[in-house]
Amino acid sequence: MMNREFNFRLDELVIDQQEVAAVLGYDEGPLPEPFDSYLEQAMDESFGLTDIRAAYRIVDDIMVNEKEHLLMACGLAFKVGKTVCGELKGSQRLAFFICSAGKTISEKAEKLLKGEDPVLGYVYNVVGNAIAEAAGNRMQLFLKQAMEKSGDLITNRYSPGYCHWNVADQHKLFSLFPDSTCGVSLTSSALMQPVKSISGVIGIGRNVKYRAYPCELCSAANCIYRRTMHH
Amino acid sequence: MNELLGKLAACIEFGKVNLASPYPPHMKDQEGADEITRRALDGGVDPQDILYFGLMPGMERVGIKFRENRVFVPQVLMSARAMSTAMLHLKPYFLSGAARQKGTYIIGTVLGDLHDIGKNLVAMMVEGNGYKVVDLGTDVNSEKFIAAIKENTGAVVGLSALLTTTMVNMQHITSEIKKAVPETLVTIGGAPVNHDFCKKIGADFYAPDPQGVVEFLNKK
Repeated sequence: MMNREFNFRLDELVIDQQEVAAVLGYDEGPLPEPFDSYLEQAMDESFGLTDIRAAYRIVDDIMVNEKEHLLMACGLAFKVGKTVCGELKGSQRLAFFICSAGKTISEKAEKLLKGEDPVLGYVYNVVGNAIAEAAGNRMQLFLKQAMEKSGDLITNRYSPGYCHWNVADQHKLFSLFPDSTCGVSLTSSALMQPVKSISGVIGIGRNVKYRAYPCELCSAANCIYRRTMHH
Repeated sequence: MNELLGKLAACIEFGKVNLASPYPPHMKDQEGADEITRRALDGGVDPQDILYFGLMPGMERVGIKFRENRVFVPQVLMSARAMSTAMLHLKPYFLSGAARQKGTYIIGTVLGDLHDIGKNLVAMMVEGNGYKVVDLGTDVNSEKFIAAIKENTGAVVGLSALLTTTMVNMQHITSEIKKAVPETLVTIGGAPVNHDFCKKIGADFYAPDPQGVVEFLNKK
């Protein structure tokens, strides 16, 4: 078993502003006024964030049950579904993770969206998502480097709520971590607070595969990330 | 009158909130939805006409452009902001009964799901097309939907979900709504759902975009 926690600054993360612009809808040419200055404002302010965090916990007491589409870890049965089960096939260990862009940007986006400037709030919302994913990418990179030392490979990351993995399994996933890891807690209906957070699992083993285009696995044809994000 | 309402429709279409707003660049230093609505009311224009011939045509054009990928979420939000500013002037007339909205639409993101951008866009577009919108927020269970339906007789309901794992909650909520208030029409939307799923769960309409919901409401 191995646990690691990280506290990131924005300048340690890789955020492609063109990708952010594409998520905003503008994947060709420059962002029009005033959205260019809104994005600049949201990014500038995000450099001051001190609550971008990530954590993973590696467990070796695992079993991937392809027949029943279950993932067993630490005595818990995760109903991950056929797709995720197939992707984690061959894993000898699993890294469960939690990452968050933090309370500050989550609350800022929410407040603006519901109040004085929904457009700016939407830009903060998209930037918050990008930060959470970038923290996930950085955490995943560190995990990959750590596993390479023992000759292991890692899979992509998979999250409850996606690829038919029931979001209710968040409660089991969070039970593997101390309370408020990365400052994230769950509501009774398994939603993460702060909202700009991600959680999930990564497979580890000699024979696991990393997909360059994981969107092929997902059935959400209209997803705005389909064309823009890869992890 | 027509010229003023035409200008108001343009303010909504392009998201020109007020005189001070620099957006959109081609309308800089011009009056926005705020001033024009006030001027129309002061000039004796019927608030109902402001809604029907100023705000609604502007919002309809935005809805069509969004459907055709000619504008994106930030521009729709800007239009919605212009519309909300104008609606502030009209609200007293709706409350007094001097002007009437076309009906009520109750909307919420279903239990277990907190994604609300799509839901908010639909709410804004529906409101901008002349309906009262009751927005229940995110993570909404069937009890909350039913309570809102009972408070708003004849309202149509909109269920939103982004996740494949929360879209299944639409089935339970739809079934509970139909059990409690059978005549209620239920619309659904969100990235993972489609027309077949709509039929399967017993909902009445699936719209792939906000304008589709508006068109459904206008026909019913």
